Amino acid sequence: MAAISLVSLTKRFGGLTAVDALDLEIADKEFVALLGPSGCGKTTTMNVIAGIEEPSDGRILFDGRDMRAVPANKRKVGFVFQNYAVFTHLSVRRNLAFGLRVRGFARAEIDRRVAAMATLMRLEDRLDWPTAKLSVNELQKVAIGRSAITEPEIFLLDEPLSNLDAAFRAFMRTELKHLQHRFQQTMVYVTHDQIEAMSLADRIAVMDLGVLQQYGSPIEVYNEPRNVFVANFMGSPSMNLVPCTLTGGAGAYALDFGEGGTAAVEDDDLKRRCKAARGADLVFGARPEDVALRPPDDSGPGIDMTVTFIEPIGPRTIVHVAAGARRMKVAKGKHYRAALGAPVKAALPRGKCHLFDAGTGLALGAG
Amino acid sequence: MARLELRGVSKSYGRTVAVRDVDLVVEDNEFHCVFGPPSSGKTTILRLLLGLVAPDTGTVLIGGTPVGDLGPKERNLAMVFQNLALFPHMTARQNLAFPLVERRLDKAAIARRVAEVAETLRIAPLLDKLPAHLSGGERQRVAIGRALVREPAAFLMDEPIAALDARLREEMRVELKRLQRELGHTLVYVTHDQEEAMSIADRIAVMEAGAIRQVGTPAEIYDTPNSRYVAELIGAPPMNFIEGALDGSGRFEGRAAPFSLGFDGVTAAGPATLAVRPEDVEIDASGGAGGIEATIYEVEPLGAFTIVDVSAGERLLKVQAPGQPRFTLGAPVGLAVAPDRCHLFHGETGALICSARREA
Repeated sequence: MAAISLVSLTKRFGGLTAVDALDLEIADKEFVALLGPSGCGKTTTMNVIAGIEEPSDGRILFDGRDMRAVPANKRKVGFVFQNYAVFTHLSVRRNLAFGLRVRGFARAEIDRRVAAMATLMRLEDRLDWPTAKLSVNELQKVAIGRSAITEPEIFLLDEPLSNLDAAFRAFMRTELKHLQHRFQQTMVYVTHDQIEAMSLADRIAVMDLGVLQQYGSPIEVYNEPRNVFVANFMGSPSMNLVPCTLTGGAGAYALDFGEGGTAAVEDDDLKRRCKAARGADLVFGARPEDVALRPPDDSGPGIDMTVTFIEPIGPRTIVHVAAGARRMKVAKGKHYRAALGAPVKAALPRGKCHLFDAGTGLALGAG
Repeated sequence: MARLELRGVSKSYGRTVAVRDVDLVVEDNEFHCVFGPPSSGKTTILRLLLGLVAPDTGTVLIGGTPVGDLGPKERNLAMVFQNLALFPHMTARQNLAFPLVERRLDKAAIARRVAEVAETLRIAPLLDKLPAHLSGGERQRVAIGRALVREPAAFLMDEPIAALDARLREEMRVELKRLQRELGHTLVYVTHDQEEAMSIADRIAVMEAGAIRQVGTPAEIYDTPNSRYVAELIGAPPMNFIEGALDGSGRFEGRAAPFSLGFDGVTAAGPATLAVRPEDVEIDASGGAGGIEATIYEVEPLGAFTIVDVSAGERLLKVQAPGQPRFTLGAPVGLAVAPDRCHLFHGETGALICSARREA
């Protein structure tokens, strides 16, 4: 068992508050990603869990037990950093075996586990290589393998894939997730890459400026962002956020997009969100893949825009549209054709619109 | 603006061949990406064009004229590097003006030109700030502006936005493309980021070990890679490869994953690799008769689409399914792959045997 509870955890460095009153429950065997831009407090949070940093305030509990008096080396956590920590003078085999040797495992058990880990990491034919001869990709596999092999109950990873090339990152994402399903550790994974967090985690803790912004499953965080920060951080391209003004009363709401014209609020979900508004200044949100581009004279609700840029990116075409300073990106299929400068109506997607308060940035009527 | 050309150019540093018999034509007003992994010769191509190094063999031409006798300054090309070399003690305005001051233009002309460029790059409000007070993206704009003020014959850029964070990179590449289109510049752009190359370029030259393997529009490179090498480098998540053999009468038998698929008109025989993009594989969750038998290995929900990792025989394949479908780990599924969405490469050389014949 290895559940982690952070209770009102605060960490200050001089006058800077790196983590501010963070409450977070990580269940046993759960894969949690701490996600945010640099400076959001994610690495500090992980260092406090590991015992590398002392909290300024608040508590860290493992299975309900306060860890304050427990030094880092007694917390039974495995650690993998961005810069692979491997012994370059030792072979792959001896690197993998190292953690088991210092813990006094029997020779046969060490051999068995090293062989199993080498198979899992596809390092079988590298076992007797000196690590100095390995590629960066292989080095990171050794670094992950030598930490995982001791089967720690809690596994902490700090941006372990960020130095790897794109294709290998995609491969390692899958393997890391599989590793966790197989060994059932509690995993805490620090990343600034929302794709990694989405693809790996059971739950994502989105952080900004030391404060937890939202905690939920990848799909929850993606589909119902709690505020503008989360909406903007998740997704690639990120959610379109367009300033607008709410007009009309209940039953006849409309959203005024300035140069983009006015869109009547027709679907019930969006009406519900309008009803939750406290002021008229709002931010409208819609995911690029949910927005349809229709002819300008289409009668449905939408924003009048023109096509400003077309990006073909492999399987998708990203169409940029704008009405003055209001801009959106729309994700279409591979061979989507559009003319630069063409007028279009960006249709409000039924049941998939978001509204945020322009002042607080908080989502209206979410969930 | 000018057409740039390398004709049969090779360049070695000691015993290391940096560029090997390269023919490259960058058309007037073209946005041309030179793409490849580290050390594939991309930067050497820029250095050859700039005149920082001379070719061992072959000819460099600018605007149709051989420039072997011209030094870097006389070639009138502007270079923007990854580490933005701005003078830290000068304001953005002074940085922009620097190349013109050096050329002893008169003050009024300099002020006019700096104002024009600042307008184009939308940095007019930043002109009196020092680089230390600018964000990464703003500094990059000033660096580009400094290259722009001289009205060069062409621009060369070496990973100019690689050091910026992901969101800013997305913004800057749109900005660069807009600038290039508005100003009608010839632009050679080096990058190792395939998505950047795909999104920004009119044409891409894909490099391997100093040689150009393929030149084409982003769509051509993506849809019809001419070798396994190019197929592997372009696309994320990467293309799936399944080893097997062709029987000489158009039938491909998978070895790593047991299945077979017919290809009309393919007469090659012997070891072959079938390649298919993740978005061109369909999952039949009912377990599926026919197709490739597989089980669900891991599921990666990304919101707009879901990457499903499936285990087929000895291979792990990636399938990109639209939306947010749900799957059970370990569940058996069938994979449908249409022959007209597949490429076949030679099993040993990686050379193209047969390309996907998809509808445009």
